[in-house]
Amino acid sequence: MARLMNDEAQWIVLMGFIVSFSLFFLAVLINQSTIVGQTTAEAVSEFPKNDIRGVRGVLTESTFLDDESTYRNKTTVQNEIVILALSRQNAIITISSTTIGEYTYTEIHYNNGVIGYNEITTFP
Amino acid sequence: MVNEGGQLYTIEGVAAALLLLITAYFIVNSTSVYTPGDTHISDMQLEVLGADALAVMDTAPDSTVKKSPLRQIVEQEDSVLFNSIFLQTINARAGQRQDDIQYMANVTYVDPVDNTATSMHLANSSRPFTGTEHAVRVSRWVLVEKTFPGCAYTSCSGMHAALVEVLLWRD
Repeated sequence: MARLMNDEAQWIVLMGFIVSFSLFFLAVLINQSTIVGQTTAEAVSEFPKNDIRGVRGVLTESTFLDDESTYRNKTTVQNEIVILALSRQNAIITISSTTIGEYTYTEIHYNNGVIGYNEITTFP
Repeated sequence: MVNEGGQLYTIEGVAAALLLLITAYFIVNSTSVYTPGDTHISDMQLEVLGADALAVMDTAPDSTVKKSPLRQIVEQEDSVLFNSIFLQTINARAGQRQDDIQYMANVTYVDPVDNTATSMHLANSSRPFTGTEHAVRVSRWVLVEKTFPGCAYTSCSGMHAALVEVLLWRD
């Protein structure tokens, strides 16, 4: 250990180190906060909100179609929705409905490889 | 070694220099640079704008049970009406000058002969789509009462699901 010529200022040196270390950690925090904000915002805005909303809306609308003829019933329309969603929006959709008593339960499953969305609605 | 009295000062100097360097590195590193990979941020704005414009067109006037303008446009293939409403909606701005967003719209439906998705042209703005534009795609589902081309039988007129797809780009 080297011999100190004058050891009166050791507390000041120690405080200097403490202050500079705290500044250092604050800089690390600032650095991380921008990355966290950006990735979170991107994840939120890249969520396929409009695709899911659209599929859900059109499927709900189609469940109210009456069975009248070959090209005027809900099964044909829902098959068309499944084909279009697979080829144009890369999404696999399954839809099924069960009637128990007076209630009709409609199940929607949506998956585009990144996001999955599942829903059961009851009518009436 | 002639004189070792300055060793602690040297260590302190090295430690301080390292602290300053690393702190400066972190501060400089914390600013984000807009790189070409980040263009999807401005693309997303255009997507939201287009989706909102299509949602506006798919709303029946005064919340009546009538068909929405978009549904009527698809059923009648009315490209003039689509062009005027859509172009006006996406290019509207608060000031005097209009924005300069161009579009090309298709309707995708299921061909009943072989059950494949087929597209037909609906409308486009004054500048044709060449394929080199940096375009984004927005779409809107509609249920329409229509006979789509390619259907040889008159019996397949009826309710069909169709996807209105619009390519949007800023010129």
